[in-house]
Amino acid sequence: MSLHSQTLLDRTRRHFFRDCGVGVGRIALASLLADSLPTPSRAEVNPLAPVKPHFEAKAKSVIYLFMAGAPSQLDLFDEKPKLTELDGQPTPPSLMEGKRFAFMERMSAAKLFGSPWAFRSYGHSGTRVSDLLPQIASVIDEIAVIKSLRTENFNHAPAKIFAHTGSVIAGRPSLGAWLTYGLGSEANDLPGFVVLQSGPRGPRNGPVIWGSGFLPSTYQATPFMPGPEPIFNLASRPGVTHERQGRTLRAIRELNEMRLDMTGDREIATRIASYEMAYRMQTGGAELMDLADESDGTLEMYGAKLGEASFANNCLLARRLVERGVRCVQLYHTEWDHHQNLVKGHEKSAGEIDRPAAALIRDLKQRGLLDQTLVVWSGEFGRTPMAEGGLATIGRNHHIDAYTGWMAGGGVKGGQTIGATDELGFHIVEDEVHVHDLHATILHLMGLDHKKLTFRFQGREFRLTDVAGRVVEKAVG
Amino acid sequence: MKPLPILLLGWAGVLYAVDFDRDVLPLLAAECLGCHNEELQTAGLVLDSRETMLKGGGRGAAIVPGEPGASLLLRAVRHDGELKMPPDGRLAEAKIQLLSDWIREGALWGSGKAQPRGRHWSFAPPERPEGPIVSDPGWVRTPVDEFILARLDREGIQPSPDAAKRTLIRRAYLDVIGLPPTPEQVEAFVNDDRPEAWSEVVERLLASRHFGERWGRRWLDQARYADSDGGSRDEPRHIWRYRDWVIDSLNRDQPFDQFVVEQLAGDLLEKPRTDQIIATGFNRNTLLQIEAGTDREQYRVEIVYDRVDTMGTVFLGLSVGCARCHDHKFDPISQEEHFRLFAFFNSTDDWDDSRPRFRRRSINNLHAVHAPLLEFGSPDEIGRRDAIRAQIEALEDELAAYRKSAKPATDDPGLVERQHLIDRLVRAMPRIDSTMVMRQLEEPRETFVHLNGNFLNPGERVEPGVLAALHPFEGREDPNRLDLAHWLVDRENPLTARVAVNRIWQEYFGLGIVETENDFGTQGSPPTHPELLDWLAVEFMERGWSRKAIHRLILNSAVYRQSSHMRNEIEERDPRNRLLARQNRLRLDAEIVRDVGLSASGLLIPTIGGPGVYPPQPEKAMLASQLKKTWEPSEGEGRYRRGMYTFFWRVTPHPALMVFDRPDSNMACTRRTRSNTPLQALTLLNDTAFHEFYQAFARRLLEVPEDDRVERAFELAVSRRPDARESAVIERLLANERDALHTDPAEAKLLAGDGVKDPIELAAWTSVARALMNTDEFITRE
Repeated sequence: MSLHSQTLLDRTRRHFFRDCGVGVGRIALASLLADSLPTPSRAEVNPLAPVKPHFEAKAKSVIYLFMAGAPSQLDLFDEKPKLTELDGQPTPPSLMEGKRFAFMERMSAAKLFGSPWAFRSYGHSGTRVSDLLPQIASVIDEIAVIKSLRTENFNHAPAKIFAHTGSVIAGRPSLGAWLTYGLGSEANDLPGFVVLQSGPRGPRNGPVIWGSGFLPSTYQATPFMPGPEPIFNLASRPGVTHERQGRTLRAIRELNEMRLDMTGDREIATRIASYEMAYRMQTGGAELMDLADESDGTLEMYGAKLGEASFANNCLLARRLVERGVRCVQLYHTEWDHHQNLVKGHEKSAGEIDRPAAALIRDLKQRGLLDQTLVVWSGEFGRTPMAEGGLATIGRNHHIDAYTGWMAGGGVKGGQTIGATDELGFHIVEDEVHVHDLHATILHLMGLDHKKLTFRFQGREFRLTDVAGRVVEKAVG
Repeated sequence: MKPLPILLLGWAGVLYAVDFDRDVLPLLAAECLGCHNEELQTAGLVLDSRETMLKGGGRGAAIVPGEPGASLLLRAVRHDGELKMPPDGRLAEAKIQLLSDWIREGALWGSGKAQPRGRHWSFAPPERPEGPIVSDPGWVRTPVDEFILARLDREGIQPSPDAAKRTLIRRAYLDVIGLPPTPEQVEAFVNDDRPEAWSEVVERLLASRHFGERWGRRWLDQARYADSDGGSRDEPRHIWRYRDWVIDSLNRDQPFDQFVVEQLAGDLLEKPRTDQIIATGFNRNTLLQIEAGTDREQYRVEIVYDRVDTMGTVFLGLSVGCARCHDHKFDPISQEEHFRLFAFFNSTDDWDDSRPRFRRRSINNLHAVHAPLLEFGSPDEIGRRDAIRAQIEALEDELAAYRKSAKPATDDPGLVERQHLIDRLVRAMPRIDSTMVMRQLEEPRETFVHLNGNFLNPGERVEPGVLAALHPFEGREDPNRLDLAHWLVDRENPLTARVAVNRIWQEYFGLGIVETENDFGTQGSPPTHPELLDWLAVEFMERGWSRKAIHRLILNSAVYRQSSHMRNEIEERDPRNRLLARQNRLRLDAEIVRDVGLSASGLLIPTIGGPGVYPPQPEKAMLASQLKKTWEPSEGEGRYRRGMYTFFWRVTPHPALMVFDRPDSNMACTRRTRSNTPLQALTLLNDTAFHEFYQAFARRLLEVPEDDRVERAFELAVSRRPDARESAVIERLLANERDALHTDPAEAKLLAGDGVKDPIELAAWTSVARALMNTDEFITRE
């Protein structure tokens, strides 16, 4: 723990501080004290009270659609006629020199693998998208496709940790934690950072990738589970009726107020407020999860079905969450890890995400929310131009040197493609966007300077982008 | 409202407005020394000592003491002339003013104390200072108080009176053993007017076996102890015997120097005892990634980095890890030195490329991944286990080969028979307890500097060695971890004792004397009471590194016994209570929140040690795991053990622990945060485990006469009696609950549980228990 973290705790607790807009990373305790008024503010009772960004933000919320397991850019966005032409040919040795791969031993005799899917042009931009994603293709003019993403580790778990925290080692704060730390949240009866999951299993390393690391635990994500009780212990116990809960809470509040009078400890005021928020969440959380008030048309557009735990339902929930002021919503969809049977596997997974993701963009747009909501789509890395497995079970290995992701809304200039790869899709040849750069850009669109959003821990100023990162200017509209 | 300037009394008795160590040195380090250090000497100028500042660079002297206007340094930072420093932007006005004030006051280095080359305070060995003169010697109970009171005297602030006796005894119980006192223990103390009553309570608590649990748990935070590996599969591991060793070490007041040596290098002691080998589990609590396709060497290297970082943070309070990619920017730790430390830990036996891969079959081979292990079985048992294991593996190989060649149907008799045989063998295989330990490789690995911190980019070869900025290393020719451990606890080490006593202090007061308990370097915060810190550090070493001696000094002090009530007249001057003119109210640790619930309800099973247990948790808590895992809640004793024994899966940790800020065990944690969130409220209000406490608490209350129940409820929950207003709140809740429950008796059964005699009364008191155990006071030590 450090001075700065204590500063932060002060902000989350006793809080004389009304205005933290000086930029949280550079708060000097003394100067804050000097400017502060001893009036309780919202920050005194709510650690997630909104904080001014470093500069005017383009977006207020982020929805990150994370494709766990790593989809193949070569079969979705990055069309490679040359690869199709050389399908089945041995890999040019120059590509493999000095490279390290997961399952290295299998890669020595790999053959090139052209995409089995056709690509077409869409929208005014004429962006080429494969037949696996016709719906996303239909909103392509809202989207900036980035074909030149790059990451640093070729195994799922560390690469996922890296994609979320900027480090391959567990224990650093995640993107969403940094965002709520830097900006607070506008939501009154919901957590500021929410995780939604769909698919056969959770993503590897689970809470590590949406944790708060060394930031106070207030900033970690609350994973919402499907069903009427999205948060642990949100529902009252059997026998605890709404009235009973109300009566008990009143007694708790009165006892707390008496203790506050006695001791003068403002922490008790925070406790009182947190019980009130908990009570509101009990109603607000259940109300959020109940999709019955959505029109049939909306449900149809997403492909959402009442009571299901699908990516479609989660996309709709994500819209409902940002409508209610939640700062960051992180969706995970498994499973994309198709070393084998890529054809069937990608058809299935793409089929699950295509319509809901497109619907999310459309729905946000028609509600006037797209301008202030940044939607990001990516996996933890991409996949190789070389094949794995025999013809019957053909798939692709992990690839970290070039992969594709996209961004839409929230100040992003849509209808464009950023970066390019070589003719086989192996290397980036134009506008590399490292994960740190993607992070810097997301923070920038949210009004935060990635170099200023810092937290002191173990004697060092840490930031999401470590010692790197630059904003991808082309992406910003 | 401007902060009041705090005037510091310099050594010569002069009043200074500027605190060099606190304000000026960090400013110089942050803004100037990046270029103007001894190594770079940009423009021939070095700004790391008074002498070099006076000497100046190509443009002449940087400072003229007493004359800010004539000092080049100040003109440069003001951007007055063509020389503008720092070049990338003007400093904040307050910082410039600070430098100006400092120069005007004579540009003294180190509060007037001569500190050649700007030697940082914490790098000089502590010496025992004289106790200061205080205004009220009668207030002083232990020498600790003299230092606190002298500082308060300087500010003209009176300390607070003692807390109420009931508050005091609850405070001591929660602080020392992490459990509340029984109402009988409270009454006995309240009625005991003898002067020695307090110190007897202190002695009893320090002798309690629960002392090791309470304080061991905080050590386990630093040791990043957990029951699983934290990788993508998050496989379980056996290392709870290390946890029990920590508890035992604290209970027998093992000297801290031995405690350190055994954990870092118990395996290298001459003829080490079993317990000394178990102690080396400290450095086996590292994360492990066994995902298929992993580069094992990369993860082995990460583990070694973690051990170096942990050693720096835990024992030295230094961010050694900062020197992984480059020389430390602020502290005297070079990248080469970092890798010299790395070399000490680089020759230990860990899962590397020479070991078998992880395989998941009928029996996975985690033993081969987790080795070295210390096994607790007879040689006979171990032999039998190994033989069966080999049989199973052979059968599985056979089975795999058969599947491949014959492509049999699933009901093929050859297949089924072999599978049955394997299942039988798996059942027959003896389960043998083990614990993960350290072992030195016979052939040491060579260590190279990793350029830019990348192990694939080796630089020069280095030998094991320590930090030159600290005391000399008198190791052998060919030093190993044991020599490093001895160097850490050398009487000349300026940091280890200071860091250790500071961490004890912070648990009793909420913040350490050095607030940045993990950074005693130049970027850390300076001590609020430097003489006290040094006095305690010297006392610690001279008392044979006895931790209990330090606890005793604090617990018996007047500063500890003060009331924690806020005092309006000092809140503005010292809003964070750094001068300790009162105690602090502190929310209890995650595990202890559970422990006070267990205690008040009478459910606590106080057994110490053993394998982890599984108290109830929300049903879906294991969903986040990649590998499907189940959590079968323990029945019987395991359901009611203290929070620290809850089995800790790193990837799917128990939610009730995490909402109350239990650290995640991924990195060494030297201080816990204390958040205050709605999720905590939801946990206490609605969690199954806590609801069981409320029901049991209600049953307990029904055993006492009706007229005494409200008072008894307060005594059990918060160790005191209610006042009239508080009683009225409870009476009203009780009356309303009875009314409602009579109207709808079905609710009573749901609330109070099945098969109880008087469900309505029990349900009404369950609501009372819920209310009381959800108050801030219940989970706070006051």
